Amino acid sequence: MRTKALFLGDVRFQIKYGFYYIYLFFSILYIGILFALPPQWRLTAAILMIFSDPAAMGLYFMGAIVLFEKSERVLNSVAISPVKPYEYVLSKLLSIGFISTIVAIAIGVASDVITKPFFFITGVFLCSCLFSAIGLIFACRISSLNQFVIATIPAELIINVPAIAWLFGYQKSWLLFHPGISLIELLRGSSSALPALIILIVWTLFFAVLAEGIVKKMLRSVGGVKL
Amino acid sequence: MISVKNLQFSYTKAAFIEDVSFEVTPGEIFGFLGPSGAGKSTLQKILTGLLTDYSGNVTVNGEEAKTRKNSFYENIGVDFEFPSLYEKLTAYENLKFFASLYKKQRDIPTLLTSVGLINDADKKVSDYSKGMKSRLNFIKALLHDPALLFLDEPTSGLDPSNSRVMKDLILSEKKAGKTIILTTHNMFDATELCDRVAFIVDGKIRALDTPHHLIMSKGASKIVYTYIENGKECSAEISMSQTSGDKHLMQLIQNNQLLSIHSGEPTLNDIFVELTGRQLQ
Repeated sequence: MRTKALFLGDVRFQIKYGFYYIYLFFSILYIGILFALPPQWRLTAAILMIFSDPAAMGLYFMGAIVLFEKSERVLNSVAISPVKPYEYVLSKLLSIGFISTIVAIAIGVASDVITKPFFFITGVFLCSCLFSAIGLIFACRISSLNQFVIATIPAELIINVPAIAWLFGYQKSWLLFHPGISLIELLRGSSSALPALIILIVWTLFFAVLAEGIVKKMLRSVGGVKL
Repeated sequence: MISVKNLQFSYTKAAFIEDVSFEVTPGEIFGFLGPSGAGKSTLQKILTGLLTDYSGNVTVNGEEAKTRKNSFYENIGVDFEFPSLYEKLTAYENLKFFASLYKKQRDIPTLLTSVGLINDADKKVSDYSKGMKSRLNFIKALLHDPALLFLDEPTSGLDPSNSRVMKDLILSEKKAGKTIILTTHNMFDATELCDRVAFIVDGKIRALDTPHHLIMSKGASKIVYTYIENGKECSAEISMSQTSGDKHLMQLIQNNQLLSIHSGEPTLNDIFVELTGRQLQ
């Protein structure tokens, strides 16, 4: 199965290019910080850390991954292979989602903040896929890391600001439709976790389909032979 | 293997590829020669199914390129001019990954052995020389044993020895029955490797024939000889077909007075310039 081959290839790529070491470093750092904080802060701090890092890492890592693939012209070979754009997107989202979820579980278990494991795990996984899809959409259209960092600033603001405001008390019910807030509710295992899960699934699917269309265009533009 | 009929394509309102028709038969090495911007890249993108909004008919391996399915790529291989490999993975890991994207897979150690890279299989690609990367890139295109190969400037930037290795690899693939589309600026490679070549300029095919026919039909072989006359070295040039009629040459031969004699043919580049008014390189 090609998606499995792509997924394994992506995981190998992420290990070889040092992504897993970065995850390991931040996991240890965050767990250390959580233990240094007073116990009453731990839940909020853990949610903030999981939201801003393992869940959001796809946004940044996707830029790096696609830029590496562009600079090494690997996408040329992908474009003239039987790989379908949706398979490429799926393997990228699943590979980042996989490691993000493991890191989030490690932080969650270490800080003892997981109350409803199902909502916690699916929330982190879906949110990671959502962020990765957004990262992929930007990464397909840029050619340098600087461009990527600048391009993603508006997305980061739109995703982070309402979620952080919610976390610190600004809790209007309509904000539940925001994907970041949906994740916070899932991490907390609150009474609105189920609707939050549905909202997050819809957002993730929407951006994954959007990313698939953009990847399709990108593969067509890079795959030709430049003479 | 490939059939192109009345192909038209444009990026803007102005036509870029105009009324192009040709056929490539199985087992043939077919060369595209032309200066940069002539349309070779666009033509190759159309043949590999990446540009689909063309008019006319483009059939590759029995499938219309514009309506191709992804399985279309199971039977074509492309060797790009520049390596398209993960630099931090080893040669073996690269080949294993790319092979995993296809249904049919050739034996990786055998391929590595065929290009003399088996002992460097576990070395990172970033530690490879340019020649090694070119050979690795070449066998990457063969991983799924495609019937049709697109080679883009396969000897570009290689030293004479690596260039020879690459040309022998291409010829061995032809011997194995592959059909090969070679895109190049290098007239010597085209003359040596191609069964037929198409000269492409401004999106049109200006000539299409075997290199030998093109050379012979447009330029006669010539003889240049030198001799001493009145104490000075002189030279003369005649067409090969007029040798017996050159009384002066005959006299010089009979009297053993020739200093040197050389025959020469025009190159494919000369023919290209004559036919198109453009330089290849």
